[in-house]
Amino acid sequence: MTGNQGAGGGDQGAFAPAAYQAALPTERVILPVGSEGAGDQLEMDVLFVGAGPAGLSGAIELARLVRHDNEAGGSLGDVQIGVLEKAEALGEHSLSGAVVNPRAFRELFPDLSDADFPFRQAVPGERVYLLTAGGSLRLPTPPTMKNHGNYVASICEIVRWLGEKAEAAGVNIFTGFPAGALLVDGQRVAGVRTVASGLGRDGEQLGGYAPPNDITAKVTALSEGTRGLLAQAWLEWQQVPSVNPQVYALGVKEIWETKQPLDAVIHTLGWPLPTDAFGGSFLYPLEPNLLALGLVVGLDYHRAALDVHVLLQRLKQHPLFRSYFEGGELVEWGAKTIPEGGYHALPGRRSGDGVVILGDSAGFVDVPSLKGIHYAMQSGIFAARAIFQALKRGDQSAGPLAEYDRLVSGSYIMSDLHRTRNMRPAFTHGFYRGGIEAGLMSLTKGRFPGRRIVMDSDAAAVRRVGSAEPFTPDGALTVSKVDAVFKSGNTTRDTIPSHLVTGPDVPPEVVDFYVHMCPAGVYERVDGGLRVNAPNCVDCKATDVLGPRWTPREGGSGPKYKRM
Amino acid sequence: MKIAVCIKRVPDSETRVKVANDGRSLDEAGVKFILNPYDEFAVEEALRRKEAAGAGEVAVIAVGTAASQETIRTALAMGADRGVLLQADAVPADGLAVARALAAELQDGGYDLILCGKMAIDDQSYQVGPMLAERLGLPCVTAVTTLSLEGGKGVAEREIEGGVEVVEFPLPAVVTADKGLNEPRYPALKGIMAAKKKPLAVKPFDGGTVGVAVTGMGLPAERQEGRIVGEGAAAVPELVRLLREEAKVL
Repeated sequence: MTGNQGAGGGDQGAFAPAAYQAALPTERVILPVGSEGAGDQLEMDVLFVGAGPAGLSGAIELARLVRHDNEAGGSLGDVQIGVLEKAEALGEHSLSGAVVNPRAFRELFPDLSDADFPFRQAVPGERVYLLTAGGSLRLPTPPTMKNHGNYVASICEIVRWLGEKAEAAGVNIFTGFPAGALLVDGQRVAGVRTVASGLGRDGEQLGGYAPPNDITAKVTALSEGTRGLLAQAWLEWQQVPSVNPQVYALGVKEIWETKQPLDAVIHTLGWPLPTDAFGGSFLYPLEPNLLALGLVVGLDYHRAALDVHVLLQRLKQHPLFRSYFEGGELVEWGAKTIPEGGYHALPGRRSGDGVVILGDSAGFVDVPSLKGIHYAMQSGIFAARAIFQALKRGDQSAGPLAEYDRLVSGSYIMSDLHRTRNMRPAFTHGFYRGGIEAGLMSLTKGRFPGRRIVMDSDAAAVRRVGSAEPFTPDGALTVSKVDAVFKSGNTTRDTIPSHLVTGPDVPPEVVDFYVHMCPAGVYERVDGGLRVNAPNCVDCKATDVLGPRWTPREGGSGPKYKRM
Repeated sequence: MKIAVCIKRVPDSETRVKVANDGRSLDEAGVKFILNPYDEFAVEEALRRKEAAGAGEVAVIAVGTAASQETIRTALAMGADRGVLLQADAVPADGLAVARALAAELQDGGYDLILCGKMAIDDQSYQVGPMLAERLGLPCVTAVTTLSLEGGKGVAEREIEGGVEVVEFPLPAVVTADKGLNEPRYPALKGIMAAKKKPLAVKPFDGGTVGVAVTGMGLPAERQEGRIVGEGAAAVPELVRLLREEAKVL
């Protein structure tokens, strides 16, 4: 058997997805403050956009700094801190592995111990395998993947726990309010405009219509997570360069209640991925019989028919995995992209006039160790310290906020990412050469190969057209995309206007590529054309990377993750 | 117009139900809790009645664990003025105990109207509203789909089998809300901000003797797989025979 299950073969032409992508709708995303059309106007001192680990950690740290300052007789007084979140409830749009490094938790909550944190268990053991279609070879754990001292956790639970801490600290958390545009005043970011709700398919106002709201703030912290819309728009508007373009991977994840327990975190490489794609799988025990399974694939994959959801389904049929899932129950399903570009893909600056960019939105993810949560939290903590100083000085312009960049640059965030700067890029050379090069990089602590490996954006990577190997889910061990979306908790109403901006004249082979690319079955090929089932979308953002552009829709739309 | 609304924190209707290890309660792992949807209609109706009257107060009262404060805050964010939590370790299965505690809290409050949901979606007991009315000595109208108040009396419509019933009653009264009464609003940003500053009193729950206990909980039997009898017109006689002799529905 060859390594192309679900990935297709044959050569019937090639294309680069970028040729069919619409541009970022910047004119809708960057608005002068005071533009017409808003309902309520709300004033905050500091606004975090996105209630993930980065935004909530920033809000908690800032609230504490302000409180201590006031207690010490400082003059800041009442500082209103807001956190906007597009999900209906905290954590419902958050998805990660996750094996968490507790370092940033300890810094944020010095009075608590690891046992107080919302972790499920200490990593009980770890195993790494190289898979073939029917077999597996246990590998020594690469140094970057050693997880002794780390914890298995659900990011949904982490976010809900951080949310409680933030509320207790007096932070205003607004769930169900997606930010749709940056409000700007000259070159300064002045706040955001939220998205209207209660619109019909053609944009008409329905019974429950609520207009967008404008929230202004002295500092807007963009903690939108992976492929953040406002962060992208700001970087483009301010022409902030990065050495390499940011690149992404798509992770598809399932939570299972299993009959067979697991006592280690498992990572695999190889099958069912073709050797010209970068990625691997993880299997983590939240509890001995509650397992998180995921497959992550770099979006620069070459075969147009590669389908990450289908590959994950095939993975469960592998002898190494099958026994865990047989007789068990699929409890949840979800998908999310991961910024994988690392050090060379970081924007040249992550701060500007009235704005800072945190966590995944900035690209603080270390791929070789599969970690991002503690970097996101740490970036939030640093942002809070810089914002606090700026508030004290009464100046929130680019100069004082550049302190945030300095804090990040002088920290373990940057030194960790610098050490592994060329590992992900090496895998553009394919799995085996990439693996050897990454090994050499490990041995030399990042000095090999002594130069930067250049990467294209994912959308620029050429796709080879080929037919997909048919896959029929059995409805028990393996599920269709329709059943999967149901398990994401997505109950978005059917009458919502489409939030996906498609390019003009998408040819049938590119439609097929979208069909395979989207794990949630948003795209269908009907009579050779593209049909968009927008309500299916689970906001993973893969479409924004490779296909139709993603924009936010009314609050509470999308998945409702519980223990992802 | 002074209105009280009795509310309850319940598992989300999308919850995947799993029985806990004790065999008589819900496994709450991974469960999201919400304001009981029928109570949400009641809160919305109270706000509309107060807005129509131009003045007044809407108080929300819950019996529940400390976590019910979050549910009360949701109602306050929608626009209610103040909240009361009668805090218990668990909500008793006996509706009468809940009604007694609510009645003790409400009886000297001078309310013109007391609204409840017609039932809570978790236990589906339909008890608390009518029992509360009984304890307070007030008229009770259940499962209303429209409500109007005027000059010390109320007029409500109730959906009954095959039609609509119109009832009239003097105020104060206890009214329980059905689906269709209104379209509840989402909390606005300013409402969420304001809710943090509204009063929320926490008092111990005292429902007296609890007479009913849940001793077991189970999942319904799995539905049997469908059977394909045949295709086209040729299959009709066999289908009719099975419906008559096996399913006994003809």
